[in-house]
Amino acid sequence: MFDNVDNVSPKDVEALLVGAAQPERFAFQVHVAPMVAEHLGITPRKVIATTELMCASGQAAIRYAWTCVASGLADVAAAVGVEKMYMPNMAEAQTNMTCVLDREWDGVNAMSAPPFFAMTAQRHMHEFGTTKEQMALVSVKNHHYSTMNPLAQFQKEVTMERALQSPMVSPPLNLFDCSGITDGAAGVLLVPAEDAKKYTDTPMHIIGSGQANIGNAINNLASITEWVPLKMAYKEALRTAKISADEIDIAELHDCFTISELMEYEALDFCKKGHGGKFIENGEPYIGGKIAVNPRGGLLGCGHPLGATAILQTIDVLQQFRGEVPEGRHVKGAEKAITHNLSGAANVHSLMVYARR
Amino acid sequence: MGNVEFEKIKRPENIKLPYMLDFYPLEDEKNTQVSQFFTNLKKGRLTTTKCKECNKSLWPPRIVCPHCLSDKLEWIDLGTEGELYAFTETRLGAPLGFVEDAPFCIGMIRIGGLLISARVDGAKYDDLQIGEKVGLKIVELEDGRVFYRFRKIG
Repeated sequence: MFDNVDNVSPKDVEALLVGAAQPERFAFQVHVAPMVAEHLGITPRKVIATTELMCASGQAAIRYAWTCVASGLADVAAAVGVEKMYMPNMAEAQTNMTCVLDREWDGVNAMSAPPFFAMTAQRHMHEFGTTKEQMALVSVKNHHYSTMNPLAQFQKEVTMERALQSPMVSPPLNLFDCSGITDGAAGVLLVPAEDAKKYTDTPMHIIGSGQANIGNAINNLASITEWVPLKMAYKEALRTAKISADEIDIAELHDCFTISELMEYEALDFCKKGHGGKFIENGEPYIGGKIAVNPRGGLLGCGHPLGATAILQTIDVLQQFRGEVPEGRHVKGAEKAITHNLSGAANVHSLMVYARR
Repeated sequence: MGNVEFEKIKRPENIKLPYMLDFYPLEDEKNTQVSQFFTNLKKGRLTTTKCKECNKSLWPPRIVCPHCLSDKLEWIDLGTEGELYAFTETRLGAPLGFVEDAPFCIGMIRIGGLLISARVDGAKYDDLQIGEKVGLKIVELEDGRVFYRFRKIG
């Protein structure tokens, strides 16, 4: 986090926000923010806290670090994301993912992430004619880009055939429709825009954000097949950034499952409702298409260390702007990008808008 | 190394499933203000609370209406037959306590104007269809607690 950044050391960090979804479940450890501070030699004097918003915990850290800086509370803030997810017993890891929805009424039915998104996919296929092949295309695309990402958990190409023949986890979702159980950690520094050049010649600017939530238990979601909170968050993100949708060059979207990315194309108006499958069939979310979606390799290719994911998306956007990513996944001339995370039963959606200048 | 002692120690091999890893809710009056739900369920009735002020049926059962914040609620019956809105089958990745059950079906069921998630028994994934009728089933745990599931009836 402090590599290649001039004029700043861990002792300058006044606010530390640590995104971690379930350290108490996965690593039997709470109060992780001071542990992170200790590891990094940070001694916060203004703000220190762990932020939890399940799969969007890392973005929560960025948002709070940003508010610390924007409010004038801190001159240097750090947003760090951590998650230790790999456990010797896979069933224990899955147990942790099953108390994310309302545990007493949904989790009790063994409703962890794969069954919920499987049913979402089933309804999308039922209502809009989306196919298994169209979902698999998301996995093929994102694994293709992750072959060029040294930080990715999965660095091999996945063919359509391999994706479709991978073990069935929760029909209609095969293994390659699902993001991985991943260990990971990452961090970024946030400073006031007017100070940025003191630390680097090539900073990245937060220019907007949006976040929305509707309901929690299955019965109280706005819809299963249309992510209304994402539409709300996107509208707010564009409004605050004062940009139009066609100005966005890169979209780092939360592809926890292949169906998620298809539904995100639709909610973000990249295509018409129900046309997410067609959108990728036509090559539109590839670099050179209508918009580059997940040139990092996505959660499918890079893995999904819950608290760290959003930070890793953010770092990749920064490296895209700086031209520090391999040629094959570089979005040349990109000026603006969004990063997106969903959490829970896709009832919370979080978006940040970044600009090179 | 003469002063260092080595000793093998044991941890208990089997531990009773602790509350924090038990997915089933605590049902008695001491632990929840919606214990009436479970009392009704023991009699074969799937019920929930309805707001007397704004007339909305609530799920999960509540003690305060989230729509109008009234605490004037009444218990209503949801019936014993629902319609399968969506379903899947857990084949891989079952959580602790459910591993032995896999593969098993889970669904979202429309009943009484609500959308409820539940296990769906008596069928494999390929036997089920969106829109088909499913019937209420009640399971009882060894300690006497009860929970609802649905079952294929067609």
